[in-house]
Amino acid sequence: MSIPSRIKSLICSLFRRPQLESQLDEELRAYVEMLIDEKVAAGASYAKARHEALIEVGGEAQVKQAVREGRPGMGLETLIQDVRFALRQLGKSPGFAVVAVLALSMGIGAASAIFSVIDAVLLRPLPFDHQERLVYPYMKSRHGGSTPSSVPTYLEERAQLKTFAAMAGYSTLDRINLEGPEGAVSLPAIKTTDNFFDVFGVAPMLGRGFLPGEDIPGKDFVAVLSYEVWQAQFGGRKDVVGQSVRLDGNPYTIVGVMPVGFRYPLSRRDAIYTPLHTPAMWRTQRGFHWMRTVGRMKEGVTLEQAQADISRVMADLGRAYPEQEEGHTAQLIPLAEEVNGFGADQNKRMEGPIRTLALAVMALLGIACVNVAGLLLARGVKREREMALRAAVGANRRRLIGQLLNESLVLAGAGLAGGLLLSWGLLKAMNVFLVAAMARGADVQLNWKVAAMAAGAALLTSVAASLAPALRLSGTDPNGALRAGAAGAGTGRGQHRLRSGFVVTQVALSLVLLMVSGLLLKHLQGLLKTDLGFDAKHTMATQIALSRGRYEGRDPLPAFYQPLLERVSRLKGVKAAGLIDMIPVAEWGSGYEVHITGQAAYPKNAAMGAETRLVSQGYFDAMGIQLDRGRLLTPSLDRPENASSKMVVNEAFRRKFFAAGGDPVGAHIDDADKLEGKSEIVGVATDIRQDLQSPPMPEMDWLVDAIQPKDRFDQMRNMFLIVRFDGDAKALAAMLGDAIRGVDASVPFRVAVTMDEVVSEQLTMERMEGWMFGIFAAFALLLAVIGLYGLVSHEVQLRTREIGIRMALGSTRGLVMRQVLQRVLVLLIGGTVVGWGLALAMTRVLASLVSMQAGRDFGLMAGVSAGMLAVGLLTSLGPARGAATVEPVQALRAE
Amino acid sequence: MGETQTNLLQGTLDLLVLKSLALGELHGLGIARRIEQITRGTFLVKPGSLFPALHRMEEAGWLKAVWGESENNRKAKYYRLTKAGEKQLGAETEEWTRIATAMASALKAV
Repeated sequence: MSIPSRIKSLICSLFRRPQLESQLDEELRAYVEMLIDEKVAAGASYAKARHEALIEVGGEAQVKQAVREGRPGMGLETLIQDVRFALRQLGKSPGFAVVAVLALSMGIGAASAIFSVIDAVLLRPLPFDHQERLVYPYMKSRHGGSTPSSVPTYLEERAQLKTFAAMAGYSTLDRINLEGPEGAVSLPAIKTTDNFFDVFGVAPMLGRGFLPGEDIPGKDFVAVLSYEVWQAQFGGRKDVVGQSVRLDGNPYTIVGVMPVGFRYPLSRRDAIYTPLHTPAMWRTQRGFHWMRTVGRMKEGVTLEQAQADISRVMADLGRAYPEQEEGHTAQLIPLAEEVNGFGADQNKRMEGPIRTLALAVMALLGIACVNVAGLLLARGVKREREMALRAAVGANRRRLIGQLLNESLVLAGAGLAGGLLLSWGLLKAMNVFLVAAMARGADVQLNWKVAAMAAGAALLTSVAASLAPALRLSGTDPNGALRAGAAGAGTGRGQHRLRSGFVVTQVALSLVLLMVSGLLLKHLQGLLKTDLGFDAKHTMATQIALSRGRYEGRDPLPAFYQPLLERVSRLKGVKAAGLIDMIPVAEWGSGYEVHITGQAAYPKNAAMGAETRLVSQGYFDAMGIQLDRGRLLTPSLDRPENASSKMVVNEAFRRKFFAAGGDPVGAHIDDADKLEGKSEIVGVATDIRQDLQSPPMPEMDWLVDAIQPKDRFDQMRNMFLIVRFDGDAKALAAMLGDAIRGVDASVPFRVAVTMDEVVSEQLTMERMEGWMFGIFAAFALLLAVIGLYGLVSHEVQLRTREIGIRMALGSTRGLVMRQVLQRVLVLLIGGTVVGWGLALAMTRVLASLVSMQAGRDFGLMAGVSAGMLAVGLLTSLGPARGAATVEPVQALRAE
Repeated sequence: MGETQTNLLQGTLDLLVLKSLALGELHGLGIARRIEQITRGTFLVKPGSLFPALHRMEEAGWLKAVWGESENNRKAKYYRLTKAGEKQLGAETEEWTRIATAMASALKAV
């Protein structure tokens, strides 16, 4: 048959099926009637003729079926029929079907959820042109710490680099207040050099990017909107370009709008891009390292060439400015790696956790696969007779395998549907974590790629799971199987070994997952219980950002902060209120190297840095900081006109710089030439964690009142209001917002959160990992228990006769039960041993996620194993008791 | 009779159907009777093999079916050869003759 006519008739038979069927009916009826006519004409009576005619035709249904089978659309029809048959078969054992579909759903659901994450954050290309040429220079100081560029250094770097098409500087430190029609909103500001947009090769959808020289003060009141801001704040109006808008109280001209999807850094949504706009000191001081850079290599330049180029420039700069730049290095990291958390910044590394999660998912998928295979095998034993019968009446091996595979395809379909549903739910639940934890977390969603992956996994899993049983069953020798008797008891041995292996595998894998999730939870608990140095539950913080245009040249202390603090301290429930420039627990990294006056010179490569903070007098009380020695800071003593600044240091500072003893109080640091100008320590106070995950760092606190009034705006533009309170946090947060608006309505209020929430926000990744592993481990345990239960109850069922004989020969119920449980225990212990081996072997892989030390964590690991054993034994109690209640007489008679 | 033989010699039935229609259009029973007649009663084609063959050949484009009236004023489906069917008849006849001659000489050769 030619291809077109084949297609035509296929379409005909698919879509005109009812019509074809009725025509066939009519044709056959005509045939019978004509046959009757013929016989009547030959002299038979009508009744006899009809009888003979019908016999001759030989069953209308068979004829019709034969015709249908001849049609090209038949394959599909058979398939539908087979699927229907498979569904019917599965419907006969709903327990099996439900468990199998559940197992597949869990495996597939978890796998597609994690794959969605991997797809969004690792596989999908960045929304930039020529991403392979984009690099992020990771700058390190001579002590190995991360050190951004200073503006003067950057400018020289930019001029001297030969392999770069563009190298832009930017800062994400700032937020900017947009005064819109509905009040002020605080938006993340990406402050950039003029060539910023050239790096990414993405053209604005409206207007233009920055022109060369537009980052020079005076020309720099221009802004480019992100797509999100354009939509949310400007209603997506096309005429925004050229309009004036008040940012931080100053009029800016909107020159462009970026297309949807463009974000840099990728974690910053709702951003506004403006030129640098920094205090003069930030632009001119070479020692002031604050600007990050990102560059595009010229076409044809390799990463090695660019690296050599930038290393040369850094070395030159180090020689030219030894004091500020010596020993500074730049490591070029492909931007994709940096963005995806594969960069050199240890704090942001995502590679390990994602890889481990992927492993966990594979383990879960493996468990699901093994589980379903076990179920199918068990089912196969019960169906051995059915298969033998089919084979005996002429079904060929292919048809039998086909039927079994069909059933597993139906399972796969159902598992796929369940899995996609589950992964959708998982992703929805994970959303909050993802957005916070990964640069592109917000882009994670189910898409066709994920669905295809899930379908592949479903297919592979169920076919793999059913192949062994299918091959075995289809090879059943009808003779033997039919003779062997009721439950095919004789065939069980070999495959019981296989199923036992399955159970051991499941127990082992789920034990590893349980151990890891246990360790993660323990780690998380440890972090949550960290002694922060203050009462996080009863401390609240909110960020304050003053608009440059409104406060520049004014002293913000009397103009804003003092009235605010007065208002806040009068609020109901407020015990104390104060200000600090960096929020404890979440922000750190502002500081410099210090040397205590009179101490010997420190070794050159020793990191002798200390964090610096600006605080108000009330801060100490608000955080509940205790004074150990000396005095705290107070505006009446610590005044701007003092020649020497006074500071309070923390215990960590004392431990680091006065390890050999000596009293910090009264000591000076060498931050001026003459002693009378040097800053003096007046007190030592308790530690407050700056970074949740590291021990307290040395810290020096200065009083904001001691800053020269003219410098106060630059230094106090962004502060955190810290409030110690009791009572309702929500009500207080609302009151804080009112208080801020009451003092100045142009200051945006976003949220006030308790420090408890700040802590848990810091632990986003840890919480997500703990949570995911917890879910996976629960799935795994559930599946392992199901597998074990299935095996034991099936075994008991198969051995009813044997048990009957034993009991007839004098075995007691207790003995029978013990025997069953003994076997379960052997399996469980086997699984546990394998699980321990696996866990220990994988310590290194898991180390990226959680450190596991057999010694330290032995208790936890043993506990989890014991729990697993207990659950396993408990599960098998049911079937074991079933075995014990076998009535010998009945068991023997049943055969 | 024919059932086993038709199964045995794949294509025999097709050729017989084509041949029976060479003189003009016939309905299903007519084709069965005609085959019976031209094979001198050797092949009794039953509906179970006839109709699948007819439908298959119709879909292959060798036959064309139209609804018409039988001698006894019954509505019946009539089949007739298409151009492709005639060509097929020619080709199959030639092939069959070749096989038959070969078989005959082979059997005689002993």
